Amino acid sequence: MSTPLLQVDHLSKAFGKVVTANNLSFEIHAGQITSIIGPNGAGKSTLINMLSGSVSVDEGRVFLKGKEITHLPTHRRVRLGLCRSFQVVNVFPALTVYENIQIPVLSQAGKAHHFFRSLSREVKAEERVMEELERVNLVKQAHTLAGKLSHGDQRLLEVAIALAVRPFLLFLDEPTAGMNPVERAEILENIRRLSAGGRTTFVIVEHDMDIVFSLSDRVMVLYRGEIICDGSPDHVKSDEKVRECYLGEEVV
Amino acid sequence: MGRYVPYLLFGLVGLVLLGIGLFSGRFVLYLTMRVMLLSIFALGYNLLLGRTGLLSFGHAAFFACGSYGMSLCFLHVTPNPLVGVFAGVCLAVLAALIIGFFCVRHTEIYFAMLTLAFGMMVFSLVWNLRSITGGDDGLVGIGRAPCLGFPIARDSQFYFMVLVFFALTVWVIHRIRSSAFGLVLAGIRENPQRASFAGVSVRLYRLAAFVISGAFAGLAGSLAAMLESNTNPFSAHWTHSAEPVLVSLIGGLQTFSGPIVGSLIFVVLREIIERFATNWMLWFGILLLVIIMGFRGGAMGRIEAFFARKATPRGEEGRP
Amino acid sequence: MLESLVHVCLTGLAQGMFVWLVACGLTLIFGVLRVLNFAHGAFYMLGAYFCFSFLSWFGDNFWLGLIIGPLCVCAIGFLMERFFLRYVYHLDLPYQLLLTFAFVLIFDDLVKMAWGAGSLGSPKVPGLSGSVPILGRNFPTYSLFIMGAGPLVALALWAALEKTWAGRIIRAASSDREMASAIGVRVPALYTGVFVFGTWLGALGGGLAVPYVGLLTPGMGESIIIEAFVVVVIGGLGSLKGAFLGSLVLGLLSSFGTRFIPAFDMFLTFILMAVVLLWRPEGFFGEAS
Repeated sequence: MSTPLLQVDHLSKAFGKVVTANNLSFEIHAGQITSIIGPNGAGKSTLINMLSGSVSVDEGRVFLKGKEITHLPTHRRVRLGLCRSFQVVNVFPALTVYENIQIPVLSQAGKAHHFFRSLSREVKAEERVMEELERVNLVKQAHTLAGKLSHGDQRLLEVAIALAVRPFLLFLDEPTAGMNPVERAEILENIRRLSAGGRTTFVIVEHDMDIVFSLSDRVMVLYRGEIICDGSPDHVKSDEKVRECYLGEEVV
Repeated sequence: MGRYVPYLLFGLVGLVLLGIGLFSGRFVLYLTMRVMLLSIFALGYNLLLGRTGLLSFGHAAFFACGSYGMSLCFLHVTPNPLVGVFAGVCLAVLAALIIGFFCVRHTEIYFAMLTLAFGMMVFSLVWNLRSITGGDDGLVGIGRAPCLGFPIARDSQFYFMVLVFFALTVWVIHRIRSSAFGLVLAGIRENPQRASFAGVSVRLYRLAAFVISGAFAGLAGSLAAMLESNTNPFSAHWTHSAEPVLVSLIGGLQTFSGPIVGSLIFVVLREIIERFATNWMLWFGILLLVIIMGFRGGAMGRIEAFFARKATPRGEEGRP
Repeated sequence: MLESLVHVCLTGLAQGMFVWLVACGLTLIFGVLRVLNFAHGAFYMLGAYFCFSFLSWFGDNFWLGLIIGPLCVCAIGFLMERFFLRYVYHLDLPYQLLLTFAFVLIFDDLVKMAWGAGSLGSPKVPGLSGSVPILGRNFPTYSLFIMGAGPLVALALWAALEKTWAGRIIRAASSDREMASAIGVRVPALYTGVFVFGTWLGALGGGLAVPYVGLLTPGMGESIIIEAFVVVVIGGLGSLKGAFLGSLVLGLLSSFGTRFIPAFDMFLTFILMAVVLLWRPEGFFGEAS
């Protein structure tokens, strides 16, 4: 059994009296698309925040490809290959779309600290940026300010920035929220294609059950900070506990 | 063609400055030198404020480090002006490293207040350590020994040394702004959280911007000490820190030449007002009000936006 | 030895209460409006100058001056908030700070134009001038008065915020302005009101300062505003309790500092601020963000 991409051991977190993560333990292996679902307040955001370094861990440990990252600052985790996108659009608004992608590309290529070399000399980086833009179909808007994009395009940019660092493990936080059906299909196709490409493993937090069950190889159900079910989509669909906790929420 | 206009303009400005150096009287020379020194201070400072989005009220301390470092070197070590400037800049960089290390962990208000506190600590050190710094009298008798063989004792000669450093500053700041590092700084200003998710150590880059801007403040301070032949303890006071902020704002925070244009306006306006009235602060206060309430792009910001709108009908405003 | 120590303590307490009187208005303004008002020092100065003029024109009724002076000043504060500050709340921090700084420049010069650039000696307040022997040494009576006025103002503020309807609204708005607006509080009017009240407190501090500082200069705003900032920051931005405690600490520290290491008294103030901010960024009673 090869080293799991991500290993989570007994992760716990409480905000005051509210327990948002209760002794969570699981593994993520490369190549599978995993979805994390659960009603609001289940602790999904906290989990992503802890794994990406935005929020501190009360107890437990996290390992990325065997290396412990529990207390590493965010940028170090990104350099090791972990990244995330955000539910609410979180781009660089006063910079152009091109520059939004340029920053993670340069950073990943180790060129971000060059303070004397003109940007126009970074040819390889330029090629990579155009690649990333083509991938999400934003080439035409390359020189538009990110803040002035349409909402759907901003969401595409949102995911594109996360992809641009070429992560091994990418957490997508409700990537299709607010997208119209066309955009949604496009982004799903992208995820499927990228996942098949073998470099990036996706973990998606979603509320839309169609997406979850059509896209995922594995589904984890979070409820009140605990994993109440973990397995293939069919297994989860027929689980009693899952049905119970979703009564009143989405009907599976 | 349009791309070369800025370079042509700068060439023109360079020629004008050369002309001033060769043909003007003492007063114009002195005034132009003050504009150039303030520009050096403000260009470096705007890398931190306009580019990286950090408002520091302590940079006067680094200016003073430059002044006093240079002067102490002159008085106790060697009269060589280049060594003196180097000493001043090194002291400023050291101070900026130490102070910056503690301050960049915080943002916004706390950053501003911490830099204010540290800056005023430097001020009180300068004020109280009379035996070293001359206290409220400052250090006097700072002369100008020949620089690389060229005499600079007269203002008309020293002018060219200042001009060289000014040109150097403009070039270096331009390179930094158009580099990857410069882009990342803009990203940190726009969205520090996302920048860290792009793999960038936000704290490290902020510290770098802090130290670089401190270095230029020190350079301006060193040259100022030589210009005035003495040091002024109030150059470390927090109200002096407000000058580069004011100047950058007047010229345009997000533009490259804003700090230069702002310095020109500031120095010239102040001279004019001081000739006819004693209340230049009142008029600058009003000018500042007008800018903040209505013209936040500053002078250059407005001009650039105007040209941008003419060039691309869709409107490509606000270059980072 | 003991009298020396006691006197240093008393001086520290008096100085602390003096800074509190100036800083409480600043704290209130920051707590509700989230604006650090550089011009607060200028309002303090205006309060001092107005009260001084009042004393010179209308004879020696110090108390009447204390009532009318701050009222005049807070009218100016009203103009500043209503027609300028209100329009920059949504802007970034640098613009807000710079707007208040612009007013510092304006007020400083206006004061110079109206009262001259030199210093004015302040008159004595009958009944409160002179000194009182404490443990064999004389201690200024007015300082004792300040030591009493400080806690009195603190108590009055506490009562106003905790027990009155207006106070409750202010507290609500400072912790959650959106909620407050949603339940019908007219937030812009509230902000103006708080700013005016805070300015009034600052000007009152200035008026009370007239016999305490002995000399009025156009630069007096600059020197006190720094100490007020330090107090507001170390107490926790927006916390009145913290500002009170912070003032006490600052006063005592600076008094002991001046007595035993006279060269570094200013330095100590800033070391205090830096140490507190580095150890506990939210200040004594601030909320971690």
